[in-house]
Amino acid sequence: MTTYIIQRLFIFFPMLLAISFLVYGGLELSPGDAVSHMISPELALSITAEQLEAMREAYGLNKSFLTRYWIWLTSMVQGDMGYSMAGGVAISEIMAKTVPATLELSLVALFFSTIIGCSLGVLSALKRGSATDNSLTVAGMAGVSIPEFFFGLVAILLFAIELQWLPVGGRLLPSYETVWDRIPNIVLPSLVLALMMTAGAMRYARSSMLDVLAREFITTARSKGMPEWRVNLLHGFRVALTPVVVLIGFRLPLLIGGSTIIEQVYQWPGIGNMFIRSVRGSDYPLVMTISLMYVFVVLTASLIIDVLTALIDPRVRLGKE
Amino acid sequence: MLASSVFYSIGGNMKKLYVVIVAVLAHLMFISSASAQPTNSNQLSDPRVRQALCMAIDMKTIGETLFEDQIIMADSLLPNGPYKSPNLPDYSYNPEKARQLLAEANWDSNRELDMVFYYGDQLTTDFMAAIQAYFADVGVKMTYRLLQGDVGAQLNSVPEDGVNGPAAVDYDLGYGARAAIAMQEYYNSFKTGLNPQTPGDPKMDALIEKINSSADPEVLKPYFFEIQEYQMEKANICPLYYQKLFIYESDKVSRNGEMYGNDQYNYDWKIENWKVDGGVLQTNTGPIEFFEQPWYNLGIWIHSKVVFDRLLVADGGLVPTGCSACESYDLAPDGMSLTFKLRDGLTWHDGDDFTVEDVAWSIRTAIKAPRIHSVVVNTVNSIKGAEAFKNGSTDDVAGIKYSIADRTITLEMATLDPNILTTFSQFAILPKHKLGDVDPNQLQQSDFWQMPVGSGPFKVTEVKMNDFAKLVPFDNYHGGKAGFDIIAYPSFDGDGNLIKNAAAGKMDYGFTKNVADVAALDAMANMSTKAVDIPYTRMMWIMQYPKP
Repeated sequence: MTTYIIQRLFIFFPMLLAISFLVYGGLELSPGDAVSHMISPELALSITAEQLEAMREAYGLNKSFLTRYWIWLTSMVQGDMGYSMAGGVAISEIMAKTVPATLELSLVALFFSTIIGCSLGVLSALKRGSATDNSLTVAGMAGVSIPEFFFGLVAILLFAIELQWLPVGGRLLPSYETVWDRIPNIVLPSLVLALMMTAGAMRYARSSMLDVLAREFITTARSKGMPEWRVNLLHGFRVALTPVVVLIGFRLPLLIGGSTIIEQVYQWPGIGNMFIRSVRGSDYPLVMTISLMYVFVVLTASLIIDVLTALIDPRVRLGKE
Repeated sequence: MLASSVFYSIGGNMKKLYVVIVAVLAHLMFISSASAQPTNSNQLSDPRVRQALCMAIDMKTIGETLFEDQIIMADSLLPNGPYKSPNLPDYSYNPEKARQLLAEANWDSNRELDMVFYYGDQLTTDFMAAIQAYFADVGVKMTYRLLQGDVGAQLNSVPEDGVNGPAAVDYDLGYGARAAIAMQEYYNSFKTGLNPQTPGDPKMDALIEKINSSADPEVLKPYFFEIQEYQMEKANICPLYYQKLFIYESDKVSRNGEMYGNDQYNYDWKIENWKVDGGVLQTNTGPIEFFEQPWYNLGIWIHSKVVFDRLLVADGGLVPTGCSACESYDLAPDGMSLTFKLRDGLTWHDGDDFTVEDVAWSIRTAIKAPRIHSVVVNTVNSIKGAEAFKNGSTDDVAGIKYSIADRTITLEMATLDPNILTTFSQFAILPKHKLGDVDPNQLQQSDFWQMPVGSGPFKVTEVKMNDFAKLVPFDNYHGGKAGFDIIAYPSFDGDGNLIKNAAAGKMDYGFTKNVADVAALDAMANMSTKAVDIPYTRMMWIMQYPKP
């Protein structure tokens, strides 16, 4: 196991480096730069070329691509994320404000989707072929197929505008003093985000459970006279959980990136919202830091999942121990 | 032959009249034939083609359908009002005339015009499709594309030779807008060497000089008539429509009799006198990462309007009307010097004194800072010694003189700026004690913009970036203390959140130019909208230079 982890770490950092270079190159190839986004076309006519050049020089944009990349990389290695070009705010400060918001949303959504998805998936498998199974299958398909922004807007229309039970969006208000004050704001975005994942988790749990229920050790357990619930939950569900855990593990990093649309619909001040703004504004340092964070999270999650898989299922052994 | 026979058959006075008529007709025919020719290899340099393109578009129908009758048809660059000439040529929809002009100009029907635009909304795309269809109807092919990236450079780069070209940008037609707070802004960019589409013209240059020659609106009025008529005769651009601004308010808000106006800028709206049920005014344009400095977008952001104060105030049409932070002001009759005397006892929100030193520092910084509104740039650059200060040859601006004890500051001008009063009704004064050490090139990068300190009617007390900013009334504001707080959310016109927030009761005040949003807001029981005419002209630029 240790050897395996070390091997993975050897690949980990070159991959980060390569991806960062690709992202930086992609930004370089995209039209315009931060200064061209700061000056609107309607007002660009009134700004001289010298003024624009002075701005580019002030932001270091007149240096070559490789020089800029090197400056960014060396700063990053030293732990200096740099400053947002749009407003000169330290990127570490921006990350410190936006990452917790996204994590909060993602973790709550992950919690809901895991509990609901696994429960319904197991139920569906146990009631295979019944009306319950068919209904849950259809609901699952619908959940996977219908885009989340649609669910988001319908939920806003229903719960925020018509019934006025929950806020339309946002995360904080000046009157909020405790965590409890904030709960109404997270309910809608997290449930909508969870809905998408619930469908996936449910389908996974169902097929995994069906697969396990057909195995010989389940028949053996039954032949021992064990109660059905014990066979299903302790023997069946425990093994069926392995692929579901892998799925959930992969979901967390995907959620951090994938909550972007929900963040936009619900005006949630998370990293996804900030990423879109920074890409639109060609704010290179911010785009690079957020991209790198996404890559780091995905690679780390994949490493952790491999390790967890081995721990949950004794048949899986990685490395040469 | 016929003319001479008629000439000899009529009497003395009639002969004179006849000679005059013939001379005038001959002159007109000469002008007409001389100007109705392409001036270079680009057929769009032929005024007949440009006139035909203007006449090919049925803006009335487009306005009634696509724009839901919420626009005003444009007949020149200038908005309707006192400066509008009564003698403008008529380019309203006339496809027969358009076809005729194109035929006279031998229009190459195989040529496909390339139209560019920079608005990413669906309405603009639909508008482009409509124009494409109208052009096809008169035999002109056109394709359209959205500019991306460095739009300013792709659209506005000017040719090295400002008379003969070739063009520095690659398109035939452009759809865009000019928003102005000073009427000169509409024409100054047509000066030789400054315009990306229109070749320099000595007569136009002379007319531009004239409209910039006085600070007296009455003196300027005939010059504006003249320049409009000249430009429209040449059809350098096709004015399409005047954009309206729509102010929306919830039923919790009452302006208490105070005026409505151009909310994209600053005017005497006396927000401190408004009544807001519940004591909290919810609005958009709150900060995301930082508060934007207020010298570029002069009044777009709520903090620009209410956290900072100006020396002067303007009416709803942005005409300067009197003092705000100043107690009095005196503009010399020749417009070459302007003196302000500040009110006594002004302070910043943090309690420090607001003095003329802050005014002087703000002006000096604006001379060097790059991202400044063009009207402000023109004013500060016109101050005596501004150029030397800007290029670093002097440490101070010779034309700025002030006395802290007397609370007076005088600006001596090197060149006349007709809009100097407009500038000081929009130019926010910033605190030197907070920003004095900032490099003007990096003004926006200062920590100050995380929690700005101003001297306006509201002060910032709590900020959760990307969530909300809370502004509370400033006790020491010279106009009086407001009776409500402001919560500004980081939402913006066109980001899709306005309707949701308004429907959920989370929006009490704002403004938009989006006609679809207006229809939705009007349908809500708790919201109302008010249309305001603003100087914002949407137009079609026509490339007259030869291709690059």
